[in-house]
Amino acid sequence: MIGITTDPIEIGPAIDAARTWNTGAIVSFVGTVREDDGVTEMEVEAYHDLAIPDLELIAADVSARYGLNYLHIVHRTGRLQVGETILLIVCSAAHRREAFVACEEILERIKERVPIWKRVFREGRGEWAPGHRE
Amino acid sequence: MQIKIRAFARFSDLFGTASIIEVPEGSTVISVLRTVAADDEEKMKAIFTEEGQVRQHIIIVVNRSRIEHDDLMVHILGQDDELALLPPVAGG
Repeated sequence: MIGITTDPIEIGPAIDAARTWNTGAIVSFVGTVREDDGVTEMEVEAYHDLAIPDLELIAADVSARYGLNYLHIVHRTGRLQVGETILLIVCSAAHRREAFVACEEILERIKERVPIWKRVFREGRGEWAPGHRE
Repeated sequence: MQIKIRAFARFSDLFGTASIIEVPEGSTVISVLRTVAADDEEKMKAIFTEEGQVRQHIIIVVNRSRIEHDDLMVHILGQDDELALLPPVAGG
């Protein structure tokens, strides 16, 4: 699955789905809300009309270049508490090198390009996180 | 003609999340941006530098396609086009 959800992200089923017969390595990235200097909550917003095509393009490109067997990218939006999962990336490939490199590239490209923003809350006050290139 | 303006994250705090504005036929992206910011100094400073250039970190999207800053003066908008103002992204 490649997409955006407001529901809590389940990690186990995505990893199970990555166990294809030709897979020797499954690599995952789980981005979570960190309690940074009193952060209690995070609000995540996306421009869905652009974010989803961007994610699909990144997925198709990276899958093709690294020969991935399986790829799952889900970004959450809405209000999240400390510890909750913001982003899940699961890559599987025949060998570990491609799985590791693909996972990292996907994460960096999401951070650089995909129209998603975070607002962190401390003591009830929200502040938009600085973006890439700021 | 009518253009839909959308803004996200901190820009929505300033410009609202969505609005419809009336602009002359044949308006370019930059002329619409000037119209959007015209009534408010804070809006003007958020979009434009002192030299009148659109700030480099702002992402301009028309009908879900990103527009290069070099093209803002030549890209002409049409009836019911959607112009979105995006601050630097912060996902992941």
